[in-house]
Amino acid sequence: MHSAFPTTVAVGALVAALGTPALAQVGQPGRLLASNCFQCHGTNGNGPGFERIAGKSTNEIYDELKGMQSGKEGNGIMTKHAMAYTDDQLRLISAWFASQKTTNN
Amino acid sequence: MKRRQLLSLAAAMSSGSLLSACGGGDTTATFERAQGAMEQPMAATTTYKSRVIVIGGGLGGATVAKYLRLWGDAIEVTLVERDTSYTSCILSSLVLTGQRSLSNQSFNYDKLISKYGIKRIQGEVVSIDPVAVKVTLADGKILSADRIVLAPGIDFDEVPGLGTSDKMPHAWKAGPQTALLASQLKAMPTNGTVILSIPPTPYRAAPAPYERASLIADWIKTKKPQGKLVVLDANPDFVIEKDNFSKAFFDLHKNIVTYVPNAAVTQVDPATMKVYTSQGVFAGDVVNLIPRQKAGKLVISSGLNNATSGRFAGVNVLSYASTVAGAEKIHVIGDSSATTQPKAGHMANQQAKVCADAISRILSGGSPDPAPVTNAAAFSAITQDQATWLTMGYQYDAPTLAMKVVAASSATSVGWSRGNFDDMGTWFQALMTDTFA
Repeated sequence: MHSAFPTTVAVGALVAALGTPALAQVGQPGRLLASNCFQCHGTNGNGPGFERIAGKSTNEIYDELKGMQSGKEGNGIMTKHAMAYTDDQLRLISAWFASQKTTNN
Repeated sequence: MKRRQLLSLAAAMSSGSLLSACGGGDTTATFERAQGAMEQPMAATTTYKSRVIVIGGGLGGATVAKYLRLWGDAIEVTLVERDTSYTSCILSSLVLTGQRSLSNQSFNYDKLISKYGIKRIQGEVVSIDPVAVKVTLADGKILSADRIVLAPGIDFDEVPGLGTSDKMPHAWKAGPQTALLASQLKAMPTNGTVILSIPPTPYRAAPAPYERASLIADWIKTKKPQGKLVVLDANPDFVIEKDNFSKAFFDLHKNIVTYVPNAAVTQVDPATMKVYTSQGVFAGDVVNLIPRQKAGKLVISSGLNNATSGRFAGVNVLSYASTVAGAEKIHVIGDSSATTQPKAGHMANQQAKVCADAISRILSGGSPDPAPVTNAAAFSAITQDQATWLTMGYQYDAPTLAMKVVAASSATSVGWSRGNFDDMGTWFQALMTDTFA
């Protein structure tokens, strides 16, 4: 769980933020969308709750959400919930969670 | 190790504000690191760039306070709440059946203070000035801010005849009222009658009165074998999850429950335990009287109640800013606001995030996200170990300036199950942790 990758991302964000301080808070596309998941999957997708999402790959999260959205996986609550989002929104959500560090919440 | 590296890097780059530079989750890291070393939660190096006062420490207020700290650019956040801790309404009907204790329902503000650097004032707000953006506390202290977020929950209409009697508790704000109703139920004769009255919409937690009725009916079966439950619904029909709740009332619990629609309560008499309605007079041994609801007092005394015939606060759902002219720096979230979305804790948490994101952007010179999404989710117990679920997602609809439900995402479970009951516990823990920790 302690790959160097999240640090690199954080430093990247840091540099970007320093360059444009006014945009520091608006420069995180997907974060507000992804926050819809926090009630059940924990703040930043780190639990406690249902399956943890933070730190999974963009493709893994996106494929899972698209699979649920297709309805092929039954009529569960996540199937219906996934149907609330557009394809672009699911991509933003997936990329945002993939950029998150896993923590020991 | 990584945190230290990041922090020293930030220092080396000599930015004006560490918090500004890090933003997001790294702000948390700063506080976590600082936490052990200091009594005062805020780092000495912190320079605030703006101030927000949050009034009300329920699901909406606690969440907005947390996320303003997580997402905002060095915003000083002060949370004003009169109680020492929050008592959750969600799952509180399981206190009535004796399955949970009130202490299971209690959440304090310690983590919000220690982990996120929120300043906490335990006190009573007597008034706010929506134009000057000032708050007056009961002790005479006046606070000012760049923005105020109001999250005062609900208040009740007076029920004619009730007066100050405690014989017909609402238990619709969890706490002493919940304990009172639980003790009245426990003391009821085994052939006693419980009355539960459902107010007209909009009220807090649409499925919850039907859930409570189902749970009480199941509890009656096991604990009061000759007991009955009369549900007096001011509405013409089940207001939500009709498939599940009608099956629960008319099939599963049919020997216990009598359902009376269109039964608006007009008056009560606590001395005789009578409830007067548009469908006749009913008498019970225990009466759970859930009165009609409106926005919390402060919304109304501040003149922000410009929607729903003066009962709730009109808001711009991109930011939850008041739509009262001149009061744009006052935001109203949760059950006090008038939107197309349900009044419920899970939704209040999401509205709080939209509000926190919008305020963070505005205070950094930007504008709110033009296309927010929100969601509601709830589990409802039908028996003491089985539950249903309900979910719906909302997208911003620019032409109507409102959140619009996504039809395909609006659904309930087909029937109830033990698995859903277990999921309800997981959801509760997740929601409360996302809000208070």
